[in-house]
Amino acid sequence: MTDNSAVHSPNSALHAWQKLPWIAIVYFSFHLLRQIFGQLIYLIPALLIGYSRLMENLPLTAAAGGVLLLVVVFISWLKFHFYRYRFSDDHLQIRSGVISKTHLDLPFHRIHNVKLEQPLFYRPGNHTCVLLDTAGSSKDEAKIFALPMQQALSLKSAILQQATTPTVEISADNHQPGNPSDTDEEVELNRRSIGDLIIHGVTSNRIWIFLGGLAPFFDNLFDWFADTLSTSGFDIQALLDPSHQPLWRVTLTLLTLVVTFVLLLTLFSVLGAIISFYGYRLSRLHDRYICRSGLFTRHEVSMKRSRLQMIVRRQDWLDRLIGRINLKLEQFNGNIEQGQATVMNNKIIVPSITHGECEALLKDIYADNQLNHIHYQAIDRRFLLRNMMYVGVLHSAVAILVSPQITAMLLTLLSLLVSCSLIYLRWKRWGFALDDHYVYIRKGLFGVDYYSFALSKIQQSKFRQSLWMKPYHLCSVTLVLACGGQSIPYINSHHGRQLINQGLFEVEAAKASWM
Amino acid sequence: MHSEHFTNRQLTTLPDIDALTFSPLSPWYAKLNLLLNLSLFLFLLLITLVLTWQQWFSLPTLITSNLDNARFFLTLTAAVLPPYWYAADKRKGYALREHDLSYRSGLLFISTVTQPVLRIQHVELKRGPIERRAGLASLQVFSAGGAMHTFAIPGLPLATAKGIRRFILEHKDIVEND
Repeated sequence: MTDNSAVHSPNSALHAWQKLPWIAIVYFSFHLLRQIFGQLIYLIPALLIGYSRLMENLPLTAAAGGVLLLVVVFISWLKFHFYRYRFSDDHLQIRSGVISKTHLDLPFHRIHNVKLEQPLFYRPGNHTCVLLDTAGSSKDEAKIFALPMQQALSLKSAILQQATTPTVEISADNHQPGNPSDTDEEVELNRRSIGDLIIHGVTSNRIWIFLGGLAPFFDNLFDWFADTLSTSGFDIQALLDPSHQPLWRVTLTLLTLVVTFVLLLTLFSVLGAIISFYGYRLSRLHDRYICRSGLFTRHEVSMKRSRLQMIVRRQDWLDRLIGRINLKLEQFNGNIEQGQATVMNNKIIVPSITHGECEALLKDIYADNQLNHIHYQAIDRRFLLRNMMYVGVLHSAVAILVSPQITAMLLTLLSLLVSCSLIYLRWKRWGFALDDHYVYIRKGLFGVDYYSFALSKIQQSKFRQSLWMKPYHLCSVTLVLACGGQSIPYINSHHGRQLINQGLFEVEAAKASWM
Repeated sequence: MHSEHFTNRQLTTLPDIDALTFSPLSPWYAKLNLLLNLSLFLFLLLITLVLTWQQWFSLPTLITSNLDNARFFLTLTAAVLPPYWYAADKRKGYALREHDLSYRSGLLFISTVTQPVLRIQHVELKRGPIERRAGLASLQVFSAGGAMHTFAIPGLPLATAKGIRRFILEHKDIVEND
């Protein structure tokens, strides 16, 4: 598939320090501008207030914008100018930094993930940005900002070959009977059509989060909306006024407005799904999963099977209705340390697949995993009692405070009922199971999410028991993985100990690698 | 010390975390912590007294009228929290097995963290000025689980902390992984 000769052969040109292609300046500028505009979010209120003044002094504003652009291009040129990289047979070295100089020396075997990112402006010249993840923290992540695609693919191939040769790993994937993976060709495992992406956009519509974010601006938005409609001949306030209109018309207008609004937001969500997952293709080369997608910026995430930490099978309530599943493959997330929100990049998400496709993928990843079939044990009823008690006490306090007002009392009662129903749903969903090699956790609220990970991937365990749990032989267990921790509350302490003991045994006796 | 007794038997049976025998922290740790916590409350009480008696500037009525309440609240908290923390500190302990390190903490909510040595990314000894004077050290254990799950065993006698660190660093699993 790829031409390895560029990196494999003793190519003296690559051993010398190299400069990036000129197009990298656009990449630097684009990222710098994105950072600047990211910071500008905090200035939005000030800009809105000063909007009219900015408009009054349009030439000055444009000149300031021009100067800003020049500064950005100059800084980008400086970054470009001081950036040098070179490959040896098994090392990558990068020298960068304008004021503070950095020298990174990265052996290929330490690189555990190679990602290719192709923004829109890299396509005409067929360049790509190469991101190299190491097992250390995100500080050690290396980035070659622009490389010709062919060279990037050769480099990737060379790195992956280095990473696969020394692996004598006893990990969960070795338990399985084996996968037909020894061909040099990529095996296509899944492809998503536009139809699937539309379904994904609809089912993963985060309308409520968006509405929550907009809450402070509801008044302004409604005024703006009413003004816009009235200039087009619709008097929305009159249409929604029950004293001027029959009730059926008010209801119908309101319903139409709400449905239009929801449809509009769903459309945005669908657009988002198409932009992120356009041309989605999941394939496997030997034991490495490669996921490619993206309408504007093409992302390529590759993950060695042994680096996979946890499988997440996610279904929201709408997914359950139409029988679709989002499958997530999570690997080591070094960015947790930095608290950065780049978690997405390290995961492989297979959006809105059917049950059959999910089953086939799980079989390919972990042949002996029973995520879809195992019997899950419920957590103890006292989880329900404790949380309902907390909610009950809180609502009683509120009820005492608002006691003379009947409406407020009724609202408090309604809130109590809703909260108790949610707690019940949460309890009902929570379950766990354990077999010889894997831990399975089920949780959710309206939807159901299933988590599964190999015992050998456990980094740390935590056993918690309060004095009130002890007499009932209950405990909570947290199993920490390289992609974060998973907790199971209110389980029998015998089961909790069994989970921890078996996990520690698998890690310590079998000396299984987590990477 | 620990490394002198080091063996690396292959585990064949499932060891039980319930059977862990925890070693206590240095007795100085709980006492010093109690002293520090009481001093903090005493300092806060002194501030309320200074605010009451000072003549240099006038304070808003909201503050002056609530200074007695603040003193009452602080005294009550000082009577409850530091003794509770002292009792909790006395319960803290660690257990070192051939292949893992455990740390127990909590009085009403007891938690036991167990960290396999094979999964330790690195260990750090930390010593603040008071710990240095008392000859104590905290041992921080980092795993690939991220900062959220880093744990520290405080109040270890320096020699013990160094011994555990040496045990971890010289552990076969760590050496092989490097």
